[in-house]
Amino acid sequence: MILKRYGAGLILTFMILFLLTAMLLLSFQDGPFDGGVFLWGVILAAVIVLQYNILSAVFKHIDRITLLIADFLCIIGFVMLYRMNPEAGERQFMWIVVGNIAMVAALIIIKRVRDFGRANWWFMLLGILLLGITLVLSTSQLGANNWLKIGPFKFQPSEFVKVLFLIVTAYFLSTRQRKRDMWPYFLFTIACVGILVLSTDLGAALLFAGTFLIVFYVGTGNLGITLLSIGAFAGGAYASYYLFDHVKTRVEIWQDPWAAYEGKGYQIVQGLLAIASGGVLGTGLGNGMPTSIPVHETDYIFAAIAEEFGLIVAVALIAFYLVFIVRGILIAMDARAKFDKLLVFGSTCMLALQSFIIIGGVIKLIPLTGITMPFVSLGGSSMISSMMLLGIIEGVAQKNGELDEAELAEMGGGIE
Amino acid sequence: MKKKNAMNKHMQGMLAIFIAMFVALGSYLTYSMVTYGDEWFSTSYNPRISAARNIADAGSIYDRNGTRLAWSEGDKRQYAEDGDMRRAVSHIVGDVHGKSLGAENYFAKYLYGMDKGILDKLETGSRGADVYLTIDAELCRYIYNNMEYNGAVVVMNYQTGEILASVSAPTFDPSTLGEITPEDEEGSEYLNRVTQGRYPPGSTMKILTTAAALESGVTGMEIDCSGSAVIGGQKVTCPTDGGHGHVDFTSAFERSCNIYYAYLSVELGGSNMLATANQFGYNYEFKFPDFNMLKSNFEVSGESGDLAWAGIGQYTDLVTPMHNMLVSAGVANGGTVAQPNTLLDVRYGTSSIYDYSTAQFRSIMSAGTASTLAGLMRGTVDHGTATSADIDATTMNGKTGTAEFVENGQVKNHSWFVGYSQDASHPLAIAVILEGAGYGSRYATPLAGQVISKAVELGY
Repeated sequence: MILKRYGAGLILTFMILFLLTAMLLLSFQDGPFDGGVFLWGVILAAVIVLQYNILSAVFKHIDRITLLIADFLCIIGFVMLYRMNPEAGERQFMWIVVGNIAMVAALIIIKRVRDFGRANWWFMLLGILLLGITLVLSTSQLGANNWLKIGPFKFQPSEFVKVLFLIVTAYFLSTRQRKRDMWPYFLFTIACVGILVLSTDLGAALLFAGTFLIVFYVGTGNLGITLLSIGAFAGGAYASYYLFDHVKTRVEIWQDPWAAYEGKGYQIVQGLLAIASGGVLGTGLGNGMPTSIPVHETDYIFAAIAEEFGLIVAVALIAFYLVFIVRGILIAMDARAKFDKLLVFGSTCMLALQSFIIIGGVIKLIPLTGITMPFVSLGGSSMISSMMLLGIIEGVAQKNGELDEAELAEMGGGIE
Repeated sequence: MKKKNAMNKHMQGMLAIFIAMFVALGSYLTYSMVTYGDEWFSTSYNPRISAARNIADAGSIYDRNGTRLAWSEGDKRQYAEDGDMRRAVSHIVGDVHGKSLGAENYFAKYLYGMDKGILDKLETGSRGADVYLTIDAELCRYIYNNMEYNGAVVVMNYQTGEILASVSAPTFDPSTLGEITPEDEEGSEYLNRVTQGRYPPGSTMKILTTAAALESGVTGMEIDCSGSAVIGGQKVTCPTDGGHGHVDFTSAFERSCNIYYAYLSVELGGSNMLATANQFGYNYEFKFPDFNMLKSNFEVSGESGDLAWAGIGQYTDLVTPMHNMLVSAGVANGGTVAQPNTLLDVRYGTSSIYDYSTAQFRSIMSAGTASTLAGLMRGTVDHGTATSADIDATTMNGKTGTAEFVENGQVKNHSWFVGYSQDASHPLAIAVILEGAGYGSRYATPLAGQVISKAVELGY
C-alpha cells in the first residue's frame, strides 16, 4: 500500500516537473522572461497537487492511476493551448477547475445513489429535450449545429446528454430482465442517435451508437439483438453515405485527402504534415507551426501535440488512454452492483470510443468525424462531461474499496 | 452470481478489443510516419518550409566538386552564374517557391537548420547547413547543351548509387522564377522528367522479357520474321522492311525483333511476366530517401495480344527514366540494384553531419541472368542496333528502344537508350529518352555514347 502510494506520488512529481518546465520554456518564448506565463504553470500545478492529495486523503480507495492520467492529459492540453494562444490556455485553466468540481460532485453522488430509480424517466426527457432544442435552434442559425447559446454561455448539449445516456443505459440494463421492458430505452437510444444524425453531429452519433452496442451486449449477453442493432447501424451508415453528401465527402477525402487538398482534404493533409514535421522527437515546444492546422485547439490538438512533442509523446498519449481504459474496465469488473458495473463500463467505453474516433481520424486510420479529444481539447462542455465520467469511475472505485474493507472486517481481518 | 461472471467475461472480451484498437492506433501512426513522414514533410503543401525559409540564413547547395549551385545573398536566393549550368541542374536543385521539387525542398531541413536543436542553435547560430549533391554540374551542363529534344538523361554510379547527372528538358531558369509571365511558360518545364515522367519503355522492355525467359529457361525458340504477325487478333510489326529473317534468342535481342519477343511473351505467360515485372520494381511505390519518384506500370489483361504488346514495352507499360536506368544498373551490378541517392554530404562550416552510405535497393535478377544479359547487351552495342554507342573511352553495353505514342492523332516515336559501361573502373549506368525524336538507335544512342565519353573524361 505504501509502495503503491509512493509510486503514484512519484508520477505526480514528474508531471508537475513537466508542466513547470514547459511553462518556463514558454515564458521565454517572446524574448525576456515573462513571469506571468510561468505563474499560470505554478497555479495549475498547485491545483493539481491539491486535487490529488485531497482526493486521495478523503477517498483512499479511488484509482490513482486513472486520476493521474486524466491530470496529465489536462496538463499537456493546457500547455499546448497556452503555447498556441495564451487566452485559450487561460480559458482551459478555468474549465479544468470547473471540471474538477464536476468530477468531485459526480464522485460523491455516485458513491451514494443506487440507480437513480424514477429519476431516469426525467433524465430521458431532459436528454431528448436538450438535443431536440439544439436541433431546432441550430437550423435557424446556420453553421454551428451542435451549440446552444444561453445568454453569454455557449455549450454543447450532446456532451451532457452523454452522461444522462450512460445513467439511463445502466439503469435499464440492470433493472429490466425482459427485453420487452426495455423498449423505452431502445426508443431513447434511437431518438438520441437520430437527432444527432439530423444535426450532422456524426461524431457524437457514432459515439452514442457504439456505446449502446457495446454496453448492451455486455449487459445482456444478447447476441441476437446486438447483431440486429449492428445491422441496423451499418444499414443506417450505408444509407447516410448515399443520403448525405457530407458523409460521402468524408469517406472520399479519407481515401485520398491529397486529391482534395484545395478543398475538404485540407484539414487532414495539414494534420498529417504537422505530425510528419515533428518527426520522432518533435520540433520542441514553441518551435513548430501547429497554428497552421485547422481547428488546432479542439479536434486537431493531437496533431499539434505530435508536431511539437514528437511521435514518442503522441504514441505515449495513445498508451495513456489505453491504460485509463484498462483500469476503468477492471473497476467495472470489480463493482458489486450491476448498475455500477454497467455505468463504469459505459463511461469507460465512451471515453475509449471518443479518443479512438478522434485520434484515428486525425492520423487517417478511419474517416474523420469531428469530436473532441477527452481531457485535452479546448472546451468547457467537453472537459466537464469527461471529468464527470472520471468522477463516476472514481466513485465506483471508492465504493468497491469500501466494500472490500467491510468484507475483510467481517471475516475478522483488517487492513495493515 | 453466474450472470455477473458472464458479464465480466464479456467485459474481458471488450477489453481485448479495445487493446487491439489502441495498439492499431499506435502502430498505424508509427508506420505511416516512418514510411511517409519525409515525403509528406517535403511536399509543397507544408507551410512550415516556406515559413522557415529565412533565405538570409539558408545554407548553400554545391555539386560533388564544390561548384556552387545555389546560395543566399541577403534575402535573395542566387543560382549558378553560368546560365546553361543553372538551367541544366534546375530540377535537381529545385527552387524556393516549391514549383519544382528538388534539393531546395527535399533537403530543406538541413538548408534551414530545421534539424538543429535549441542547444545547437545557441552554439552555431541559426544559419542552416550546406548541402553537397552527388551530381557533377559540368556533366549536367554538357548533357543539357547536347540535348536536341525534350526528354531526360540520368547517369548513376551503379556500384555506389550516386546520381552523377540528372537532366530534364524543357527546363526553367530559377533565377527569373516569379518574374516570368504565364505566356513564357510551356507548362511542363517544372516537371522533372527523370523521376516524374512516365513513358512507354518500348524495346528497352526486352531486357525484362529476356530476364523472364532466362529465369524460366525458355531460350530455344527460333522464328522466321517476315516483318509482321497477328497474335491474339492484334497485329505486331517490326519496323525493318521485310523483317529480320531467321532469328534466335541472341539475334532477336541484338536486332530488337518485335515479333520474336511478342511470341516469347505469350510463351512465357502473363503471370510469369507480371512476376518478373514486379521483381524489377514495376507497380512498386518507390520510397527513396532523397527524392520522390512515380510508380512504373505493368499489367496483364488475359488477352494474348495485349501480353504480346506488353512484352515489347507498349500496351499499358510505363516507366520513368530513373527506373529504366536502375534496370541497366542491375544488369551491370550482377543483378543487384544500388539505391539511387542525390545527397552526398551535409556540412556546418567544415564539419560534416552526414555520412554517405551505399544501400541496396533490391535484387532484380540472378547473377547468371545478369551475366547472360550483359553479353546480349554487349552484342547489341558491338554489332546490333546500338553500334552508335560503341565508344573508345570504355566498353558499353546497352539496349535501344523506340516507343510509340500517339499525339494529335499522329503516331510518333520516343527514342530510348539504356545501358552501362561494363568496365568496373568506370561504373556508369545511363538512361536517355528523347521525346518524339524517332528511332532509338539514331537519336538517344549516340547521345548516350557522348555522355558516357564525357563522364569518363571527367574522371568517373
